[in-house]
Amino acid sequence: MTSFEVNNLQCIRRDNILFQGLSFKLEDGGLLQIDGVNGSGKSSLLQMCVGLIQASEGEITWNNEDITSSRHQFQSDITYFGHTNGVKAGLTALENMKVMHALSGFKTKVDYSLILKQIGLAGMEDVLLSRMSAGQKRRIGLTRIFMAASKLWLLDEPFNALDKNGKKIIEQLIVEHCKSGGMVIFATHQTMEIDGYPLQHIHLGETS
Amino acid sequence: MNEYLKIFFIILQRDLMLAFRNKAEFINPLMFFIIVIILFPLAFGSDSALLKQLTSGIIWITALLATCLSLESIFRSDFEDGSIEQLTLTRYPLTLLVSAKITAHWMIFGIPLIIIALLTGFVLSLPNQTMLALFITLLLGTPVLSLIGAITVALTIGLRGGMLLSLLILPLYMPVLIFSMLAVQNATLGQSIAAEIYFLAGILVLAMTLAPITTAAALRIRLS
Amino acid sequence: MTMYKTLHRWFHQFASPKYFYDISHAISRWLTIICIICFIAGLYGGLVLAPADYQQGDSFRIMYVHVPAAWMSLFIYMVMAISGGIGLIWHIKLAEIVAKSSAPIGATFTFLALVTGSIWGKPMWGTWWVWDARLTSELILLFLYLGYIALQSAFEDRRVAARAGAILALVGMVNIPIIHYSVEWWSTLHQGPTVTKLDKPSIHLSMLIPLLFMTVAFKTFYATSLLIRVRTEILKYECNTSWVKQLLRDYKNVTN
Repeated sequence: MTSFEVNNLQCIRRDNILFQGLSFKLEDGGLLQIDGVNGSGKSSLLQMCVGLIQASEGEITWNNEDITSSRHQFQSDITYFGHTNGVKAGLTALENMKVMHALSGFKTKVDYSLILKQIGLAGMEDVLLSRMSAGQKRRIGLTRIFMAASKLWLLDEPFNALDKNGKKIIEQLIVEHCKSGGMVIFATHQTMEIDGYPLQHIHLGETS
Repeated sequence: MNEYLKIFFIILQRDLMLAFRNKAEFINPLMFFIIVIILFPLAFGSDSALLKQLTSGIIWITALLATCLSLESIFRSDFEDGSIEQLTLTRYPLTLLVSAKITAHWMIFGIPLIIIALLTGFVLSLPNQTMLALFITLLLGTPVLSLIGAITVALTIGLRGGMLLSLLILPLYMPVLIFSMLAVQNATLGQSIAAEIYFLAGILVLAMTLAPITTAAALRIRLS
Repeated sequence: MTMYKTLHRWFHQFASPKYFYDISHAISRWLTIICIICFIAGLYGGLVLAPADYQQGDSFRIMYVHVPAAWMSLFIYMVMAISGGIGLIWHIKLAEIVAKSSAPIGATFTFLALVTGSIWGKPMWGTWWVWDARLTSELILLFLYLGYIALQSAFEDRRVAARAGAILALVGMVNIPIIHYSVEWWSTLHQGPTVTKLDKPSIHLSMLIPLLFMTVAFKTFYATSLLIRVRTEILKYECNTSWVKQLLRDYKNVTN
């Protein structure tokens, strides 16, 4: 039973206090949506949870251990998908996936063609990312969630640039992951259509 | 340990592939090198005795300037497409991945630079011992340029004002220039260059050990 | 154990920007007084009391500005790099502020050392400049300072700027022993070290004492100007806190 807990978090960017006193807890199967208008601190909150940015106040714990004390261990246990895709436009889909797979250190063999099929991009292994649309690039970036088999996913605007179909696919993947005991925190201002699964919410930018 | 070696070569291969598919990023600084070197005989007349004395200095200085221009390519695309965050979040030490990227930069830019510099020296009829000293100093010096350059470009990537990188780096490059030119001058006079080569080798070893860690620290600071 | 605890508490209290702001006003008053006294003593001793040098005549007296300025240029860089490192490792805001505030002062002292050295060099060596190890590395030091200042002003986020600057300053630390030992390692035009901490100095006492006064004067001058800059920077760093807002309100009330 793993837990991810955030306590009394405060975020100051460029002398502005974006939010303070933020607390939540996530356990096995937990699904959390962070929403708020642009500039309300969604990305900053996610980056704090990942450990890229330091919070000015408050603490974040993974299995009751502060993530700053064992940052490297924590970061190898999670998958983060940022606002930008984290993939190289100069490489093909297959090359990108191979690099992602290698970086996650996953020992088991992975079927790249099957992953591409699951994500709705079947047959595009040898297409350079520079030739793909923004939504397709984004989906290649999302394939990293298949590579590392991490418990906790942190996704920043995963539905950006996706069409209705793509959005459905990602929603399904997220729900499946939570049903099998994983945890997902995602930030988006879009409305979710997740039926039959409890969804926690955090709204940023309403109080300060 | 095997795993670390494997990931080093995967990242190295990745960067080499990206460079070959985007040739302009490293060919342009090399073209800059050639064009600026040509400016000197244009300005001073190719038969000038003065020019013959200055040739190795001109080659080294232009190499420094061209390297300044080539350094951004190490991290720019990674910063723009978010790969740098992903490199920070892997199970492998960022220092290792950064060393792979710096090695890739030296292979893509440093090695061709050495070849072109020697060709230029040959065309401008430098004496043999000068050519040898030039070769050794470039061989030891260009990795140092890539290593120290990586620290500085990690600090300044993405900031507006392209001059900042050059202003920060050139003072740090001065010792390399000083010792290389001392070696070349001594070689031209037929004297031993052992002392200067030891110094350059020492700077190289220092840079190889400390620069990747410092670059990794600088990248984490930029991401926060 | 209790001594460690008190030291720890004292360290963190001292490092709190508000506490430092409150005590620094009184401290800077005392420092200014010491600075003025030492300047008067040093200048009078150096320009009037000290005998003329048997070789250089009166032109050696620029030493009383050149040498302390050069010492300060090295000292301030060390302070800048070390406090930057402390701010980087332990995330102490005051350390970041001290590093940032020291840079312009250090750059000015380096420039002063270079210019006074040049003025001294003309009658002594017959040239305004020579590319030996010490002068070249001191010039590199000036560029390091200027680069540090340029880097800090290129960032919008103050904390990121401070940490990036700390890395640059630490990388440039390699230059400091080169400057210091350059006159021992290479044969240069610049004269060798005359004042070391442990040995008997090779300079006459009547010339040494004004030099020491000037050194203390320069150090207190650095401390005073540093405190002024640090106080301003603290206000900028802590502009969101209630004590700064109260301070600004009080100031507005007084001036209205």
